[in-house]
Amino acid sequence: MPELHPLQPEATWTALVTTDADWDEADPALLAAMFHQLVLVRAFEEYVLELAAAGLVHGPAHSSIGQEGGAVGSVLALAPGDEINGSHRGHHQFLAKALQHVAPKGFDLTAELPDEIRTVLLRTLAEICGLARGFSHGRGGSMHLQWKQAGAMGTNAIVGGGVPLAAGFAWAGRQAGTDAVAVTYFGDGAANIGSTLETFNLAAAWRLPVCFFVENNQYAVSTSVAEATGEPRLSARGPGFGIASWRVDGMDPLAVHLAMREAVAHMREGRGPTLVEADTYRYFHQNGPFPGSAFRYRSKQEEAQWRARDPIELLAGHMIRRGLLTEAARDASVAGAKSAMEAAGEMLLEPKPGGKPGERRIRPAEWPDPAFVDVGVRGDLSEFDGARPGGDDVAVHEVKFIDAVAEVMRRRMTADDRIVVMGEDVHRLSGGTNGATKGLKDAFPDRILGTPISENAFTGLAGGIALDGRFRPVVEFMYADFMWVAADQLFNQVGKARHMFGGDGPVPLVLRSKVATGSGYGSQHSMDPAGVFATAPGWRIVAPSTPYDYVGLMNAALRCEDPVVVIEHVDLYNSTGPGPVDDYDYHLPVGRAAVRRGGEAVTVVAYLSMVAEALAAVAESGVDAEVIDLRWLDRASLDWETLGASVRKTNRVLIVEQGPVGTSYGGWLSDEIQRRLFDWLDAPIMRVTGGEASPSISKVLERAAYARREEVAEALRRAGEA
Amino acid sequence: MASLLRMPEIAANMIEAVLNEWPVAENATFAAGDPIATVETDKAVVDVPAESAGVLVRCLIEPGKAVSVGAPMAVLAAPGEVIDDVDALVRRLVGGPPATADEPTPAGAREVTQNAEPASATTHARIFASPLARRLAREHNLRVEDLRGSGPNGRIVRDDIRQALAARSDEPAPAAAARPRYDEIPHTRMRRAIATRLSAAARETPVFTIRGSARVDALLALRGELNASAGVKVSVNDLIVAAAARAHAAIPDMNVVWTEEAVRRYHDVDLSVAVATEHGLVTPVVRGAQRLTLSGLAEVSAGLVGRARQGKLRQDELEGGTLTVTNLGVYGTEEFSAVINPPQAAILAVGAARPEAVVVDGAPAVATVLRVTLSVDHRPVDGALAARWMAHFLGLLEAPIRILV
Repeated sequence: MPELHPLQPEATWTALVTTDADWDEADPALLAAMFHQLVLVRAFEEYVLELAAAGLVHGPAHSSIGQEGGAVGSVLALAPGDEINGSHRGHHQFLAKALQHVAPKGFDLTAELPDEIRTVLLRTLAEICGLARGFSHGRGGSMHLQWKQAGAMGTNAIVGGGVPLAAGFAWAGRQAGTDAVAVTYFGDGAANIGSTLETFNLAAAWRLPVCFFVENNQYAVSTSVAEATGEPRLSARGPGFGIASWRVDGMDPLAVHLAMREAVAHMREGRGPTLVEADTYRYFHQNGPFPGSAFRYRSKQEEAQWRARDPIELLAGHMIRRGLLTEAARDASVAGAKSAMEAAGEMLLEPKPGGKPGERRIRPAEWPDPAFVDVGVRGDLSEFDGARPGGDDVAVHEVKFIDAVAEVMRRRMTADDRIVVMGEDVHRLSGGTNGATKGLKDAFPDRILGTPISENAFTGLAGGIALDGRFRPVVEFMYADFMWVAADQLFNQVGKARHMFGGDGPVPLVLRSKVATGSGYGSQHSMDPAGVFATAPGWRIVAPSTPYDYVGLMNAALRCEDPVVVIEHVDLYNSTGPGPVDDYDYHLPVGRAAVRRGGEAVTVVAYLSMVAEALAAVAESGVDAEVIDLRWLDRASLDWETLGASVRKTNRVLIVEQGPVGTSYGGWLSDEIQRRLFDWLDAPIMRVTGGEASPSISKVLERAAYARREEVAEALRRAGEA
Repeated sequence: MASLLRMPEIAANMIEAVLNEWPVAENATFAAGDPIATVETDKAVVDVPAESAGVLVRCLIEPGKAVSVGAPMAVLAAPGEVIDDVDALVRRLVGGPPATADEPTPAGAREVTQNAEPASATTHARIFASPLARRLAREHNLRVEDLRGSGPNGRIVRDDIRQALAARSDEPAPAAAARPRYDEIPHTRMRRAIATRLSAAARETPVFTIRGSARVDALLALRGELNASAGVKVSVNDLIVAAAARAHAAIPDMNVVWTEEAVRRYHDVDLSVAVATEHGLVTPVVRGAQRLTLSGLAEVSAGLVGRARQGKLRQDELEGGTLTVTNLGVYGTEEFSAVINPPQAAILAVGAARPEAVVVDGAPAVATVLRVTLSVDHRPVDGALAARWMAHFLGLLEAPIRILV
């Protein structure tokens, strides 16, 4: 008979319940601040629902009515340097942080509200309605509310999508030497999704000061918590990851506040992340002005029971009991909040001409200019003013490619202590799996971060660092295929962030992504990511083919205020080529390709390892081809000047790449070339790609699946015949 | 049973031809052997005969359009065959898109009109040219219709434009803003064929020429006597052609064609007769001329000339022969030389019969003299042989009674 010893998680798990004594001891100023914020947030949400019912909000209006106590109670425990982000149901989270930012000492709804508060209400309402004066000029709307100056880093329409970003805010605050914390608000639905759970682990491993604030409002749309998980007490997830956790009644704003004060103290003391679960309730359905019971997934009786524990009623009751508030003042506050919202609405709305009595429309001048649609997809590159370009003054000699990779990073990290590198095993194995970070862990122990195997979490963490702006993250993917694992962070978050939040906010993130085609690692480790990244407008793409280019392009990538993926090929790592003798500071300008061989017969477009393959094929074939090394691959950075001049000369194009046709890069380029240069083409644009399937493990099948010089030579021969 | 009339391969390696006209109207009947389409190749205008009697149900090609060999041109039906839905039949045979009406239409779906014209017809009517070639042609006032494509699918590519530009670079460049000082007459296929064949001949064939003259008073007198009696009218040219045929029969080494492998000496004497038509020069062949009587030859020749002027020669009537006789005498031309029509070995250029001063028995006299120039391919024929031929030929002209035997 074995002995059974019950085990306990190391981390604490606590239910916090207030007593009347707590209410009696609570600071009157705190309760007043809480009351006025709650009443104003409630009035705001009611006004949004009114506009939604009138068809004046395009898209969903996710109301937080009923669950304001969690956000307000918790935000009041934060300090100005702390950063938050939130979920698709985030009006209350955003407003609480923004109001605290403009009125840190609170405000009084029975008095004239200061302009700063009126402005917050107006710009938030305008954003939700999709209007130009919104915080993101109407691009973000209800689900993407961001005001970085207030520490409100952006709410998020992807369930769990904002959670890894908050870990990045927390890392940046700690690395900057502050005791700031980050709070990420999410719902019970997000408690089950991978990016949240990955981030629990990563934050705990790195003891990051981030609070996972679960607003458990009992329903993910219409699916109840009990249906969705075997442990409906969602705070139970924390201890399993080593995270100190609290469970609290979210309808009791004081309880939330007290729990949050403990959590914040825990984090500021450097004891790692926290999890606070606030049990709460949204009075209405997922979106719109109808209760959930109207959709039959819950009862009116259940809704009545939760409404009986309304946080504002609870708070007002205690304040009246303590003589801190009169019923008249309570009603006046509600009226004041309502009139503040109507005043904001007046700015944005006007009677609809020819409409029914009381029917309103958006004032035409409030809409954004349709010409604004693509403005700010990426930055204006003004950060390159004064950047020193490479040139003949850079002394070169033959160097090993991988040594240039490590050396330029060493140089940049020495010169710029904002740079931080993270990825799997980058801190071990003498510079990671390929030696790209060789010697850097010893030189920069706190900025070379070996991560757990969780690409979505550490990519999102880096995204959070980039949004925060104090540091410049470099993420390494051991294999490019892993981008699919991190796809939400790469494409929904990092790639869209600047544009979605108005076009002004930099996202300086560098992703080093390795292509291992031909290494025998098979179907899931052999892809070239260029084609997929080229579909994501926020990303810039560089693909260096020589050590010299790598140095100049990496310097450019690290200087750029947009996310840049630096594609590397393992075939190149151990190759040698021209590289700088000692100058690791020059930049290769954005949007400048290189003509590697001049020719008249056909323009061969290549990048990365295929440049050398194409040059070899041209030499073998005897075709007088012009070979262009693109260097910059994304739509915005492509060198049309060089490409156009070449096509106008040769009138023929051959785009060569190594990987499978499905995710290949050349498709969009061929489309763009034929539209820009149609009248200069004397033949259909030709392409060399791999086959349809991803390369297999078997050496012969693998070779048959991708393209190299032989396939390029064959295409050149066909081009000569045609 | 309905069937498709497809563009026949009238000559070897022919890619396409232009449908000139439909001799039979839609829904009209025709008998076996009736011409049911008239097609212009780069050499000839050819009637396509019906294989069997039937009805022309539908013409798929507009006259004037180029059609690839094998592409459908018309839908034919058997005599008396009842066709309920011609459009459906056309689609079924041609393989066009199915009719809207045949497909179940989702309720409320927008009605879609289908292009009833078969895709193949429009496809073949298109002239393939690369975008660059089209732009260059536009900029240089070239018509892609006038160019021949050397690219895939006959596509006109940059180099074809460059060649066309080089070809006309000798011409004075037109003043930019001035009114054009010339009219451009687009090449017909026939003009282009003439140019191509004769350029090739001039380039590839080593040619020497031999001149001669004959007193033809006797010949003219003989012709007068022949034509005075009833029967076929004989022209001077018929006599000359007959004389040439007799000379070829007498000197068979002249009845040859050069090929890469061998000199090909023919058993029959096939001679081409050059005929000027309004479209250009054609050279129908009189076959077995050595066997024909003079009247027989005259009859054959008149038939060929007549149909040549109507543009109705068959392709096979244009091929073969070892010698062409070309005669500009009707224009008063004294003498001239001509370019050999490959792969023939020689061409005889005949001038006008004119009164000239001649020496007869040491004394000047006036006689009617005909001057001829024989251009010869030196590869199969040497000078002495040609000289012998010329002597024999001139002898026949001067003693024309020998032509008749």
